[in-house]
Amino acid sequence: MTAPTLKIENLKLGFKLWSGMIEVLHGISLHIGKGERVALVGESGSGKSVTARIVLGMLQEMSSARISGGLTFEGIDLDKLKPRDRHHLRGTRMSMIFQDPTSSLNPVYPIFTQFREVLARANPAISDAEARMKAITALADVSINEPERVLDSYAFQLSGGMNQRVMIAMALANNPSLLLADEPGTALDVTVQAQTLKLMSDLVEQHGTSVLFISHNLGVVREFADRVYVIYKGRIVEQGLTKQLFSNPQHPYTRALLAAVPRITGGGIPDIAEDTAGFHDPLIAHPGASEKELLS
Amino acid sequence: MPAIVRILARRLATSLVVLIGVSILIFAIARIIPGDPARIALGPNATADAVAVLRDKLHLNDSIIAQYGYFIADLFHGDLGISLYTNRAVTRDIADFLPATLELVFVSGLMMVMLGIPLGVLSARYRGTWIDHTIRLVTLLGVSAPGFVWAVILMLVFAYFVPIFPVAGRLSDGSGFQPITGFLLFDTLISGNIRAFGDALWHLILPAFALALSGIGQAARLVRSNMVETYNKPYIEMVEAYGFSARRIANRYAFRPSLIPSLTIIGLDFAAMLGNAFLVESVYAWPGLSKYGVAVILRKDLNAIVGTVLIISAMFLIVNIIVDLLVSVVNPRIRLSERPA
Ligand SMILES: Nc1ncnc2c1ncn2[C@@H]1O[C@H](COP(=O)(O)OP(=O)(O)O)[C@@H](O)[C@H]1O
Ligand SMILES: [Mg+2]
Repeated sequence: MTAPTLKIENLKLGFKLWSGMIEVLHGISLHIGKGERVALVGESGSGKSVTARIVLGMLQEMSSARISGGLTFEGIDLDKLKPRDRHHLRGTRMSMIFQDPTSSLNPVYPIFTQFREVLARANPAISDAEARMKAITALADVSINEPERVLDSYAFQLSGGMNQRVMIAMALANNPSLLLADEPGTALDVTVQAQTLKLMSDLVEQHGTSVLFISHNLGVVREFADRVYVIYKGRIVEQGLTKQLFSNPQHPYTRALLAAVPRITGGGIPDIAEDTAGFHDPLIAHPGASEKELLS
Repeated sequence: MPAIVRILARRLATSLVVLIGVSILIFAIARIIPGDPARIALGPNATADAVAVLRDKLHLNDSIIAQYGYFIADLFHGDLGISLYTNRAVTRDIADFLPATLELVFVSGLMMVMLGIPLGVLSARYRGTWIDHTIRLVTLLGVSAPGFVWAVILMLVFAYFVPIFPVAGRLSDGSGFQPITGFLLFDTLISGNIRAFGDALWHLILPAFALALSGIGQAARLVRSNMVETYNKPYIEMVEAYGFSARRIANRYAFRPSLIPSLTIIGLDFAAMLGNAFLVESVYAWPGLSKYGVAVILRKDLNAIVGTVLIISAMFLIVNIIVDLLVSVVNPRIRLSERPA
């Protein structure tokens, strides 16, 4: 089989703070096959965003971060890459979508300025005209009717849903092989969030993009993901195909997660009783869905 | 850009109101200071008759409201009255002394912007590193003493112990250069006199730097703190995630949004230099408005006091208008807003 797009092995993360070390990730392993859409689910603070930032190489730039474990991207050991080459992957082969599209766009530059610079990551010699054309096509792909007007607008002049489309267009503009979607659109209202997720879902399918879909909204995960990893306090506690996991949740934490009623307001699955006995039980992998089985 | 025109119109209107307010205030205050201006002007040996004649000529026997009326009527003809100190038109005096002050303040402001802002950007980009620590320490030193203290220190060090720069004045004795507008850097340039230009610049550097130092420190610290805050914004995380270069992120994506809150304060600091310039001018015997201003106040030279204060307020207001315009240029929210900002 071809190498998975992303493979994370025994990833550990700690922060060295004034008050001492805090351990955030306790050795998580996960992978994303080519074109696969994998969800990482867990409550706030469980270590989802830091995982994505490590994949991009952003946390490595932080002097307080202590990171160990293996990261392989399309068969290449990321830690063996020269910093320059590794940095080059960002925005070209890997890209990211964030929670709040409107605040993720710079308030003092029009959309096109940022879009152009994203395109220049893959093609530094790109001309203005060429960038404009590409941006217009990309915006049309996310069903934006007046791409010209949007390109010359500032984020604050556009609706949240429009900005989210812009973010999706930017994220896919360089045709990356991995998309990290960190609770995309959680800040938007529910219907808009659903619309834009559908759009993203269709596009990554067309492009064959592999996706790490970070969420705490199980309803969305169920619809969007092929496979699911459940993370609790820096440990993967359960993993399996989406179908398996939802029809037959095994780990006490997953069960609690599924039993908790999602808040209507774009939130997800909060308010789980703290530290119920079984939450710290070891990892449960569904049949055929363990790292070992899937990667053999 | 219609929004800019609208902002400009609004600011001009409010500035006019402020100027009228200032004129009333200073007009009244100048007349409340004890002492008879006519008596001071004519000296202790003048006869009571002569004093009475001058008082009459100055309308000092009329009500204060009537006096203000005369003043406004004259003002419309561009006439601020005669100074009893120099016996010349106040407008003439101001035209003589103001350029020296403005030149000093302008160059200081330039130093503040050209040194303070880049230092702040550098400090923010390398936050937490020795570069940042060094810049913060040095700029803290800059803000820790007022301009005239720096004026004395710099003069001692660079004009006295290590005499690189001249101690006083705007041109060397015997340079023989005849000013045209009074802005010497400008005058020397347009008359093609490079030697005189160098001479004028040489005289200007020390006082301007002394006046600028605390502004440089303040601008650097302000830009740093606003920019460090900006670095925590999602739109910076986004450009980092997309691999934009650290330099580009610093100079564009983090700098420009943080310039908006910084600009207003930098503008105020710049305007405050007009006031601080008085003390620096005294230290360097700079023939600006300060010597004149102090002299006319001590002599209760009514017209000159009112004229000087009005001109300085007007400068303040102009600086503020310029800053407001700059802010609206940098901030698209203001530039593009349909309703009055
Ligand atoms: N720069 C940092 N310094 C210290 N602790 C951090 C830092 N970034 C994240 N953390 C901690 O790591 C944990 C995981 O954070 P995160 O990945 O953002 O959670 P989430 O699953 O909600 O995305 C949290 O407890 C957070 O406080
Ligand atoms: Mg998060």
